[in-house]
Amino acid sequence: QVIKCKAAVAWAAGEPLKIEEVEVAPPQAMEVRIKIHYTALCHTDVYFWEAKGQTPLFPRILGHEAAGVVESVGEGVTDLKEGDTVLPVFTGECGECRHCKSEESNMCDLLRINTERGVMISDGKTRFSKDGKPIYHFLGTSTFSEYTVAHAGCVAKINPEAPLDKVCVLSCGASTGMGAALNVAKPKKGSTVAVFGLGAVGLGAAEGARIAGASRIIGIDLISERFEKAKLFGVTEFINPLDHAKPVQEVIAEKTDGGVDYSIECTGNVKAMIQAFESCHDGWGVAVLVGVPHSDAVFQTSPLNFLTERTLKGTFYGNYKPRSDLPGLVEMYLAKKIELEKFITHEVSFADINKAFDYMLKGESLRCIINLIGN
Amino acid sequence: KVITCKAAVAWGPSQPLKIEEVQVAPPKAMEVRIKVHYTSLCHTDLVFWQAEGHTPIFPRIFGHEAAGVIESVGEGVTDLKVGDCVLPVFTGECKECKHCKSEESNMCDLLRIDTERGVMMSDGNSRFSINGKPIHHFLGTSTFSEYTVAHAGCVAKINPKAPLDKVCVLSCGVPTGMGATLNAGKPKKGSIVAVFGLGAVGLAACEGARIAGAARIIGIDFNNERSERAKQFGVTEFINPKEYEKPIQQVIAEKTDGGVDCSVECTGSIEAMVQALECCHDGWGVAVLAGVPRADAVFKTNPVNFLSEKTLKGTFFGNYKPRTDLPGLVEMYLNGELELDKFVTDKVSFSDINKAFDHMLKGEGLRTVIKVIQD
Repeated sequence: QVIKCKAAVAWAAGEPLKIEEVEVAPPQAMEVRIKIHYTALCHTDVYFWEAKGQTPLFPRILGHEAAGVVESVGEGVTDLKEGDTVLPVFTGECGECRHCKSEESNMCDLLRINTERGVMISDGKTRFSKDGKPIYHFLGTSTFSEYTVAHAGCVAKINPEAPLDKVCVLSCGASTGMGAALNVAKPKKGSTVAVFGLGAVGLGAAEGARIAGASRIIGIDLISERFEKAKLFGVTEFINPLDHAKPVQEVIAEKTDGGVDYSIECTGNVKAMIQAFESCHDGWGVAVLVGVPHSDAVFQTSPLNFLTERTLKGTFYGNYKPRSDLPGLVEMYLAKKIELEKFITHEVSFADINKAFDYMLKGESLRCIINLIGN
Repeated sequence: KVITCKAAVAWGPSQPLKIEEVQVAPPKAMEVRIKVHYTSLCHTDLVFWQAEGHTPIFPRIFGHEAAGVIESVGEGVTDLKVGDCVLPVFTGECKECKHCKSEESNMCDLLRIDTERGVMMSDGNSRFSINGKPIHHFLGTSTFSEYTVAHAGCVAKINPKAPLDKVCVLSCGVPTGMGATLNAGKPKKGSIVAVFGLGAVGLAACEGARIAGAARIIGIDFNNERSERAKQFGVTEFINPKEYEKPIQQVIAEKTDGGVDCSVECTGSIEAMVQALECCHDGWGVAVLAGVPRADAVFKTNPVNFLSEKTLKGTFFGNYKPRTDLPGLVEMYLNGELELDKFVTDKVSFSDINKAFDHMLKGEGLRTVIKVIQD
């Protein structure tokens, strides 16, 4: 049956979301309908809400970091059932394609992230409507709604003991950063790591480096106020490029006898990407690009930087396979091997969802949790 | 004592070498004097002999791919003695610095390649002279001479059973290519590898892919005549980019269901470097840069190539540590795992050394071995 519920709808680019009553159609084949308990705002939601320089797709229900419970399943769904506790994810894992079968990749051919698509894959239609008019999906998740519909391959089943108002942040930002460190950079114990950008993703990367046993974690950000908070995530030193006349690569090289062993770029700024690469040590340094740039960005460097044995990698979602790996991250949290509370700086009710946007636009928050079940 | 012997001296840029009688001073502390038996011409000799866009350093004794026998050792040399069979190498291994101690790097802080230096490090003087006038060294090897002096850290001691007219090619070109594949690219058995540039380094990269068990080795070169010979080195398909309108990355992606698993760039062309990165498969592809570009070259690409989980590395001398690893390569040759004979396409006497330059300038052949030892 169709469910009527509340959703925060973005009617046009940059306009405050409005809480509306919407209809949510039942899940079709290989889909599930999820009751969202908690969701968080991620910068990617803001980016597509502002829709600068992109094809605007409105009205749309944004949101892709969330945790909830399966309400109903469509035909053919075997891995999930009603009542399962889940994290919907903006990228999926069909389990069949070359990427899913590869040990390394998480870029599923069928279900990988698609920012342009506003409908469900099976029939090209949306499951949301208001007064008969369709409302578009976002990243196959659309979690700013009391109920949403997602492809079963994009939903990770997790331990029902997990507190959903905490683990919702594992659907995107914290995992992206931590995975960049743990799965891609793979810092050795005692190594030196530089992290560019100390927002939620960068702090996730610092946290990953801390867990790996890095001896020094150098945080680089243009906002000095971020350093204090960053210490909680293992950052041992802070560099603000604005405080130095010389290029930050040189500043880092001087502080680290030639360069860091690993650098992780979490801003999406192409200059920072180049700096991150050039500040790692010749012979063995590894730089990992995480932050998403403008579509016309150009990465450039002297090829000698490669011939002197530096490696440049990148990651998508921290190289985590959503269905295979997220349950394990939740277990790590429950076993207190990773800390998530420190990522959460604010909490608001669903009605106040626009405050989450304000906090993020002002740079005041890391993660603001939005409560959809009204406890 | 000073030795008087023959050397092929370059008196000016691009001037045919002249066989002259030179004086070779005895080795100082940490140096050895080597009787060169066989040497071969490598493209890097040619580049610095032509000295276009480099500081011209003349008169100079070139040559850095060679095999010989220790004639005398200087003070403090413990790892080498008179009579040892050796490969002098253009880059060294002090075994003390961070690089030498690192598992990954071969870029020794003390003894790494220096193309500008024309003297010995200990005293800033040359060991070669004619009538009292100094002749410059090249890459610390200067093997176009019956006797040469090198730093002991730049000399690899090898099995005396090795035929020196074959293993001389293991001082440079062959390990550079083979290591690019085996040590940096590390393609798995059954994988698909693309190699750009089918000169000696590129064919050595193909040989490395063959040894690794690659299922397909795609050779890319502008010269169709190179395709036949490349088959001996494991190349299964040949592509000449000039025969296609569409970019070579696309041609390769179409032939390989999305891209190769590993690509190795052996031309030094900046366009080929970008193509090598872009033609590897997202999710897991690794591109390795081996060819040395022009000093002003700039590598540019869209960062999305990294965010889609491609890795870009570079190598120097195939990541082989000269003293530690070259003896093992000689053993691989002696037990038949590694084939070197196919790299040698001509043999000339010392007095005919300029023929080696002619072959290379005309793009003929792979390696010309020059017999320096008198019968």
